[in-house]
Amino acid sequence: MHRRVVTLLALAAAARAARADPATPQPSLGAVFRRPIHSPRLFAMPSADVVGAYMLSLSGDASLLEKPGVLTSAGVVAIGFGDIAQLEYRHTEAIGVTGLDAPVPAVGVQLTLPLPERRGLPAIGIAFRLGVPRRETIEGMTVDETVTDLYLVARLRDDHVPWLTLHGGTRISSAKAAPSDPALVQQRTLVLPTAGYEVAMTPTAKIVGEIALAPQFQWKPATSPRPAIGRGLLGRLGMRWQVLPSIVLDGSLGYQIDDAAPTDGFDAVVTWDIRLGAEVFVPWGALACRAVGVFCE
Amino acid sequence: MKQANGVILATVLATAAVAHAQPTPDTPPAGAGGDHPVSPEPDAHRAPDPAPSPDGKVDPPVDRYTAPAGPAGPTGPTGRAGPMGSERPPIDFPEVLRIPTGWLLPAAALYSTTSVDTGGGVASDYRVGLGDVAEFGVATTDQVRARDLATDKPERIQPYIVASFRLGVAEHRLFDAQPGVTLGFRKSFERTHSGEKSRIAELTLVASKHLGTRAALHLGGAIWDASLQATEAAPGEDAAPEVTLHGHGYGHQLRVFGGFEAQPLPRSSILVDIGWAPEFCYQCTEPTEKIKLRPELSWGVRYQVARFLHIESGVRVPDIGNFNLLDAQIFGQITLTSYALRTAVDRLK
Repeated sequence: MHRRVVTLLALAAAARAARADPATPQPSLGAVFRRPIHSPRLFAMPSADVVGAYMLSLSGDASLLEKPGVLTSAGVVAIGFGDIAQLEYRHTEAIGVTGLDAPVPAVGVQLTLPLPERRGLPAIGIAFRLGVPRRETIEGMTVDETVTDLYLVARLRDDHVPWLTLHGGTRISSAKAAPSDPALVQQRTLVLPTAGYEVAMTPTAKIVGEIALAPQFQWKPATSPRPAIGRGLLGRLGMRWQVLPSIVLDGSLGYQIDDAAPTDGFDAVVTWDIRLGAEVFVPWGALACRAVGVFCE
Repeated sequence: MKQANGVILATVLATAAVAHAQPTPDTPPAGAGGDHPVSPEPDAHRAPDPAPSPDGKVDPPVDRYTAPAGPAGPTGPTGRAGPMGSERPPIDFPEVLRIPTGWLLPAAALYSTTSVDTGGGVASDYRVGLGDVAEFGVATTDQVRARDLATDKPERIQPYIVASFRLGVAEHRLFDAQPGVTLGFRKSFERTHSGEKSRIAELTLVASKHLGTRAALHLGGAIWDASLQATEAAPGEDAAPEVTLHGHGYGHQLRVFGGFEAQPLPRSSILVDIGWAPEFCYQCTEPTEKIKLRPELSWGVRYQVARFLHIESGVRVPDIGNFNLLDAQIFGQITLTSYALRTAVDRLK
């Protein structure tokens, strides 16, 4: 009898000791994917935010309409490096010699300056993207296009208009067009302003707009011996919808230049484009904690 | 033994008291940062937290497309797929008959419509609502027509596949009398027909307003564009020249369209709209004659068969500028709406 009582008391003590402790949580898988997310971009423009520690962001978008028969796509893989930095592989915007807004690959790092959030004080971000050559062929000639960028971006919110977020910045871009003949290589540094905004329409959906100048490669081997590098205007208006806690869907229409027709203006609606995409946030640190007990802090 | 049972019971009760419900360990604290609010784990199906709205007010957690209370019949206000016992809000249709409306599909709502007419025209349209602020769709249209010579009778080019994206603000969203407003873009894939490559695109801005609970008015403007290019170049040329509608100036591109709908009976609506459709003339010599916009009139009725099913029928006159009743087509159309995707998304949340 006494042994039973002692056993039961021991069980009760064990239950007390083993109750859930907020200090050492064991989150469910659903809870892991419901953590707050920070997207480091609007559509193509980087924002002053980074994806966050122990977080991975995978995103991409594509269009079939930009040029008939050609699927153009762009993607970003960003992994949080501490709370204020992220490493990334992305396609950065540039208009190729064939007239497409065919993104150029780049690897980079993005930082957010650890400034206190104060009214009227914007958050500041810096992104460096080291360009990887993209090869295009035009009239039987090949050209390697490379774009290396330094972005300075700011994000501003105001308590009086909590539904509005403004973004602005400058892209300092070193663009290089390298045909197979080294004598024809062209390189130019461009200062390209960029701006954007977000309007919160519902708890999970935002209307997003951005406008930017981007490097534009131009070359017609038959008429001009050397490639040229200029500026092209790209604008996008669309929405970002957090359909699930860690999945954001993108949809946008864009003013872009295709068919190598830079003389077309705003009225050339037939050259506009629709792009669809998504961004998925993977809390790899929390998953690793659940799986093997590492990165739990 | 009784003593032992008593001790066991007391211990179990004590254990239960000690092991009472604990807070979810990793629920983010209130006010935690993030781009979007995050639902606490215990009730993923609860209504989302209110968010600041463009007018600076904090909205209650209700769907913005919910029909206002009124004496509407089971179908709800005009043009809406009625709830008929459903918990979901009614759906304002994104099209009258041929023209877009200023209403958007609710988030994750699915919409499809298929029509046939006596001229052999077949059209289908599939759309999905995105976040209560946009919608995306893919369709085959039978609106695009072509003729070889100016004196020929135009024929439809079909299928003509288009994708659409619309973005907007729901009716009553900013203020009480605000109409629903959408900015829409529709663009086709390239289509080759009779040795000519063509594309069309349309940018629209349209407003739709309910007039009471049984009528609605739609008014909009469009910038049309199209391109036409022969697949084979003339001797001595690298490529055939491309003719575009935007090459002729805004006067050839800008058009006004509109529509009206009324619901005289709880499940039946009468619909009228006037829109525009492009027409190509392959052998015309004048560039301005190669691509033209033709006014198109449609009228008909919509009947709600079931919560998810509507049927429409009526008459289309493809070119009212050249009013010829022999050209008129009688059409039949089936429209399906569904919240299945939204239900699935809610479950995943």
